[in-house]
Amino acid sequence: MKKQLPVWLGFALALVFLPSIFDSVLGISILNQMTIWIIFALSYNMLLGQGGMLSFGHAVYFGLGGFMSVHALNLIADEVLVFSITLIPLVGGAVGLVAAIFIGSFSTRKSGTVFAMISLGIGELIVASSLIFADFFGGEAGVTGDRTYGPPFFGIEFLQDAEVYYLGAFWLFVATLFMYLFTQTPAGRMANAVRDNPERAEFIGYSTRRVRFISFCAAGLFAGIAGGLFAINYEFITEENLNALTSGRVLLMAYIGGLGFFIGPIVGAVILTLMNSLLSNYSEMWMLYLGIMFLLTVIFLPRGFAGFIMMHQIAWQNRRLGTLILPYFVTAVPALVFLAAFVGLVELSHKGDDILPFFGLSLGAESMLSWGILLALAGIGALGVKLSRPRLAAAWALANTPTADDRGDVR
Amino acid sequence: MSLLTLDSVCKSFGSTRIINDVSLDIEAGEKHAIIGPNGAGKSTLFHLISGRYNVSSGAIGFKGEVIHNLPPYEIARRGLARSFQVTNIFPRMSVFENIRCALLWSEGYRYSFWQLLGRQRTLNEKALDVLEQIGLSDKAQLPSGELAYAQQRALELGIAVASGAELIMLDEPVAGMSNSEAENAVALIRRITEGKTLIMVEHDMNIVFDIADRISVLVYGEIIATDTPQNIRSNARVQEAYLGEVPSDA
Amino acid sequence: MFEVFVFATLNGLVTGLLLFMLASGLTLIFSMMGVLNFAHASFYMLGAYFAFTLSAYLGFWGGLLFAPLIVGCIGAAVERYGLRRVHQSGHVAELVFTFGLAFLIEEAVQFFWGRDTKNYQSPELFDFALFTLFGQEFSAYRGFMIAIACLIFGALYFVLTRSRVGIIIQASISHPQTVANLGHNVPLIFMCVFGVGTALAGVAGVIAGPVLTTFPGMATVLGSIVFVVVVIGGLGSLPGALIASLLVGLLQSYAIAADVGMPELLHLLSLSFDSSHPLNDLWTLNLPQIAPVLPYLLLVLVLIFKPTGLMGNREQ
Repeated sequence: MKKQLPVWLGFALALVFLPSIFDSVLGISILNQMTIWIIFALSYNMLLGQGGMLSFGHAVYFGLGGFMSVHALNLIADEVLVFSITLIPLVGGAVGLVAAIFIGSFSTRKSGTVFAMISLGIGELIVASSLIFADFFGGEAGVTGDRTYGPPFFGIEFLQDAEVYYLGAFWLFVATLFMYLFTQTPAGRMANAVRDNPERAEFIGYSTRRVRFISFCAAGLFAGIAGGLFAINYEFITEENLNALTSGRVLLMAYIGGLGFFIGPIVGAVILTLMNSLLSNYSEMWMLYLGIMFLLTVIFLPRGFAGFIMMHQIAWQNRRLGTLILPYFVTAVPALVFLAAFVGLVELSHKGDDILPFFGLSLGAESMLSWGILLALAGIGALGVKLSRPRLAAAWALANTPTADDRGDVR
Repeated sequence: MSLLTLDSVCKSFGSTRIINDVSLDIEAGEKHAIIGPNGAGKSTLFHLISGRYNVSSGAIGFKGEVIHNLPPYEIARRGLARSFQVTNIFPRMSVFENIRCALLWSEGYRYSFWQLLGRQRTLNEKALDVLEQIGLSDKAQLPSGELAYAQQRALELGIAVASGAELIMLDEPVAGMSNSEAENAVALIRRITEGKTLIMVEHDMNIVFDIADRISVLVYGEIIATDTPQNIRSNARVQEAYLGEVPSDA
Repeated sequence: MFEVFVFATLNGLVTGLLLFMLASGLTLIFSMMGVLNFAHASFYMLGAYFAFTLSAYLGFWGGLLFAPLIVGCIGAAVERYGLRRVHQSGHVAELVFTFGLAFLIEEAVQFFWGRDTKNYQSPELFDFALFTLFGQEFSAYRGFMIAIACLIFGALYFVLTRSRVGIIIQASISHPQTVANLGHNVPLIFMCVFGVGTALAGVAGVIAGPVLTTFPGMATVLGSIVFVVVVIGGLGSLPGALIASLLVGLLQSYAIAADVGMPELLHLLSLSFDSSHPLNDLWTLNLPQIAPVLPYLLLVLVLIFKPTGLMGNREQ
């Protein structure tokens, strides 16, 4: 743990100073979103990446925690309850935990596909129930609250988004720390063992069901905390935050980031939040791009972006990482050209009569020249990638072969 | 009182009877080998004792307690450990973690989610000890899935033994090994089962005759003989069922 | 009452058979390849959209003929270039891939066809009432749907049990390795089965499009129900999928038709609650309201008490 102190310090410092770098309204808003989704994605990975349990209904704990938190906000505003809203995530966490204990008591009896299907069924059940029990769930309109009516926290009334950010960052740090520490405990390690080999885990004295149940409850707890933060941030929650789409989104984040690494979901949450917020400003088609990117990641980067980075570990150990820079560059340029052309083609198809600004050119959907340019660029890009790949492959192989060091030994 | 008793144990899958009326008593400290032709039901017998399968009829007792039909983890907690014919480790975890996990229950950690493993001195030292015993100290941080086959078998052994179980069941521990690897493995088995009770399924007769105090011969789900190695060697029924496997020198 | 029952049964039958058309393809794919195709309903949607576009040039029948073919080809391509690669990364990767595929197809449909609901009409040929019972009409088109569904199942059954291809497929379901060792091109078989499975979904889309409306959300609406059906019936069991499809279709149909609920139950027990009671939502609950929930309730119950499904035989 001592070796990791600088990492945690760096994390804390980054959290403190990020809003100074990205101080626009959009920037703070994106950072706020990230605090929520990082906790949520990390909680999901307790199930999937660390426990080997694929769930399609994790948003239930997030949503239930969020709903209870919004109600708590309202109770605070009505002065029925009196406590600082900084503690709201704990309310969310408690609800998430209770729900997970209840649902986990029967759903963790099974594993694999059956478990996944139960989670899907429960998720749909709860979403459907949310439309029926309109008093608690607010029907289709959802529930709104106000975070500014609570007792001030050292003078802060959380009117500003930036103030909310620091609250979120605090909970992000605490939640991440505890989720990480969990992985270093007997329960956390046995979760890994059960993931790897449930049968053998039983033969060394552990009930796989019990181990999974504990992971499940812990994951529900932290998802609820994320839900609480969501409530504070948006002051509004609907049944959409419980549904399969939200569950799918967090699955995507964990997967794209890399299931096998603790920081994987952090990477995934950051990437997807950025894409969600930034791309949607620039293009109507951003969901299409997201879908394509997702599929490509699943096919070509099964270990996620974190996995991609970790793939370079051997090259790093061999001190040959530098030899890869040029080949990557040579392949990246045509790849980017292809990407730009592809995006241009997609955008142009939807421009109708409008002009598409493309790197200084003005392209129109009517003009054959415009299409021709884009197709040519796409072709050149694709060809460039194809031609440069062998060189990249060779450089990769070389970088990964063990080196002989000064003493003549092979590492 | 025997450490492990099997009393008229039968096991059928559907209408096929795999284990037929097996009775056996294993004494504490004994080194007992189970031999028999392929398909005789040796692995099934192991599965019955270790809790992977339920018995169709009969009883299995360990240290005076009934253990048949208990789940595997209950049996393991009572001091019975086993290894597998097909390597059954935790491939994505490091070698060290594999052993440490095997130690967790017997060291009393249960399902604790409040104790940090890095701080548990005694536990970590014990794990390192076991690693040294099985000769994998220098591979401690490697993901166990990346070990060579023989090393994985050694780890397999280590996991079975780490918890300090009194009864250790090894299912074809040297399967697939070269002669030199097998020699090392046998020396290892001797070392780590000193003072403990061992039941071993094995095909290699040299090893069997080397290690075993007593041998049971399982054929078509029935034990046709249980005796000392000498007597087994000269047993006519055994010779008939197991032709050609017995070494000719004494 | 009786006419309500009859029509509810008929409607439930139509829904159930439609569900089975989707569930059968899904079951085939799962049996063969162990992949739960999350994007299965998306191919159903593609079938409807392609048929809509084709029917403008070739009429409804042209759409019925060619749309499933196109969808099947797309399915085969997805298997060949996408799924096959992902297969080596494990079951979770496959599930995630099909999940992303479903998402992508929905976006692509909106990209190519727009977000509005399409005016996909059933052919005028069937614009009459097949019969009139107790004053209510049963449209001929629904009768046509039932007929097509039964025709397809008959063909499927015949192919799977009587033809050589069918025997090979059945063998590949349980012993793909052995079948490969016998010299059959198992990857090709997989690709064809995936193609046929998705084409089946496409057919369902072609004939259901006019009735269930053709719009970008049609895959999501049906998608999870199909899964529920397949799991209730037992993963990998075609007869199970049939029973479960009919069960779910009829159950929902009866629930919607029966206008009873908690108020009637409470009345029976001589209880009543004020409308300001905190659980008022529960006391005013009626069957049509919970009809959408019933399949999921059934799913959870089945999974708890019989995890392999009603007729399942594969222990996961």
